[in-house]
This record gives sequence, structure tokens and C-alpha cells, in this order.
Amino acid sequence: MTTHPRSAYTTAFLEGARDLFAPAPGVLAWGLVTGVAMIKSGLTLNETLVMTLTAYAGSAQLAVLPLIAAGAPFWLMLATATIVNLRFVVYVAALRDLFKARPIWQRALLGYLVGDIVFVVYASRMLRDPTPANRVAYYAGAALANWSFWQIGSVSGIFAASWIPAAWGLELAGSLALIALLVPLCAQRPALAGVVVAAIVAVFAHALPLKLGVLCGALAGIGAAILVDARTRARAQLRP
Amino acid sequence: MTAWIAILAIVVGTLLTRSLLPVLGGRAQLTPRIESALRFAPGCALAAIVVPELMFVHDSVSVGIDNLRLPAAALAAVICYVTRSTLGTIVGGMAAFWILLAFFGH
Repeated sequence: MTTHPRSAYTTAFLEGARDLFAPAPGVLAWGLVTGVAMIKSGLTLNETLVMTLTAYAGSAQLAVLPLIAAGAPFWLMLATATIVNLRFVVYVAALRDLFKARPIWQRALLGYLVGDIVFVVYASRMLRDPTPANRVAYYAGAALANWSFWQIGSVSGIFAASWIPAAWGLELAGSLALIALLVPLCAQRPALAGVVVAAIVAVFAHALPLKLGVLCGALAGIGAAILVDARTRARAQLRP
Repeated sequence: MTAWIAILAIVVGTLLTRSLLPVLGGRAQLTPRIESALRFAPGCALAAIVVPELMFVHDSVSVGIDNLRLPAAALAAVICYVTRSTLGTIVGGMAAFWILLAFFGH
């Protein structure tokens, strides 16, 4: 057998894919939980498979599923999915250099494939070595590995859901997956204040129809976080 | 039918947040103020979704022994804070829930 030297592109791609193996169990578990949640909320097999293959956004899926049962209108589902996804705008803004001088379909695809884990893995790789060759290949490797793990978990969950007994209370796992996403987002004080206000307002507004309480809570929380953030900044400037 | 509307909503929401900025390229830039506001939004939305879901049992707030999901979720949050592990959070929270259910469930 002759060994060909791997191209630099392939090496970077494989390194990116390999770096995703450490967080892979979490990705699989989260996908599994989302797959189960889609079936348990009454979607058909076809609907769940189309949703997981096109949407590829676990937190937005878990957020919108209760709205289906509530018969919410399109605009409310779109608003909920978009607000939960807003963190991705920050990620793709930070990944700006990655998209430079690429054809438009590649920019759209590379952006579409961003996820929490992909971003964290890619960002920590860039911290180790800010100017590696083939950073797009590294990103593509990590993103495709993440996509594969997610889909394996999600499709397994879809097919396993029917023989998971209701007594196990597996709906809780969906909330726990969102908590795993939520806790690291509370690191700074403005963010924590926003989260607390959002939770309180959402609880008090729970009686509103169409689960509108979620939107009210989220907007109130964002407002509170911006206020606390502005005050913290003002105070920091006053200090000598 | 509602399910297909929901799928469309999530796909559009995903493309808007992930692909729009890269497609626009250099023509769109975030100011630091907008960027920090965007940073706060997902946490607030997630909290507004998760907390009522955990606190309400049949449309009324329940923080007692008949709602064991709450202490289990609180423990999961602590596990997440300490370990930053998604798997540990889900598995630890569910294990706590099942143990509590075995002792206090009916």
C-alpha cells in the first residue's frame, strides 16, 4: 500500500472533526432529547424527520414545540425561534474572517452550520493559533462532525420515542438540555439580571394565551439586561 | 398542518440568524451595543421558556413535593455550573428526578 501525503486541507478538516469528539456525547444526548420531544409533542414521523434535517436548531425546536400544541400563529413561532437563535448572530459576526472572499452559497452554508459547540471548538482552536492555514477546512470538519452527531442523536430519539414509557418523564430532559445551554449564558451580571427578570415575568404572564408569556418574559429580560449593562458601564467609566 | 408552519418558522428563524449576516458580508456590521443586546436575548428567551415549564403543574404554580422536576432541575443547573457538561447536566438531572420519584412519588 502506498501512502499519499495528506493535503493540508484534509489534515485541517480531520483535525476539526477530531476536536468535536470530546463534546460529542453531549451533542448526541441533546439530539436524542430533541428527537424524543418532537415525537412526544404529537408530530408525525415525516414531520419530525423534515424538521430535524432542515431546521437543525435544537433550542429553537424545543422552544417552538409547545407552540404547536397551543395553535400559535406563524409570526409568534418565527419570533420565538428567532429570539432563541439570536446568539448565532453574535457567532457569525465573530466568524467574519471565515466568510471573506467566498462565493455566496458557501457563506450561507458555513453560516447555517454554526452551532454552540462548533463555535466554542473553533474559537478555542483560534486561541491556540490565531492564523492557521486552512481555517475554513478546520471549521468545515468541526461543523460536519457536529451535524452528524446531532442527526444521529436526533433520529435515534425519533425512533426510540415510541417505546419510551411516559412514566419515565423524559419531557424533563428537554428542559434540562435548555438549562445546559442557559447556565453558561448567565456568566455576567447584566445577563444574569436579564435571565431572572425573564423568568419572573414569564411565570406571571403564564396565563396569557398562545404562550405569549414566553415572548413577554424574553423582551422584559432583554430590557433589564440592557439597563443593568448600561449602568455597569457608566459606573466603570466614573471610576478613576 | 401547524407542524409544517412551525418547521417553516424555525427554518426561516435559523437562516435569518445564521446565514443572513455571512451572505450580506461586509455590508452589515454590528455595533458593540447591538452585539451585547444580542448576547442577552437567548438567555432571556431560554429562561422564559424553561422556568414556567418547570414551575407549573396543570396551570398552577407548584413548588412542593408534587413537583419533583423542580429540585431535579435545580440540581442539574448546579451540575452544569460546576462541570459545564451537557451530558452530565441531562443525565444527572434525570437520575436525580428518578431517585426523588422513587422516594416521594406516588
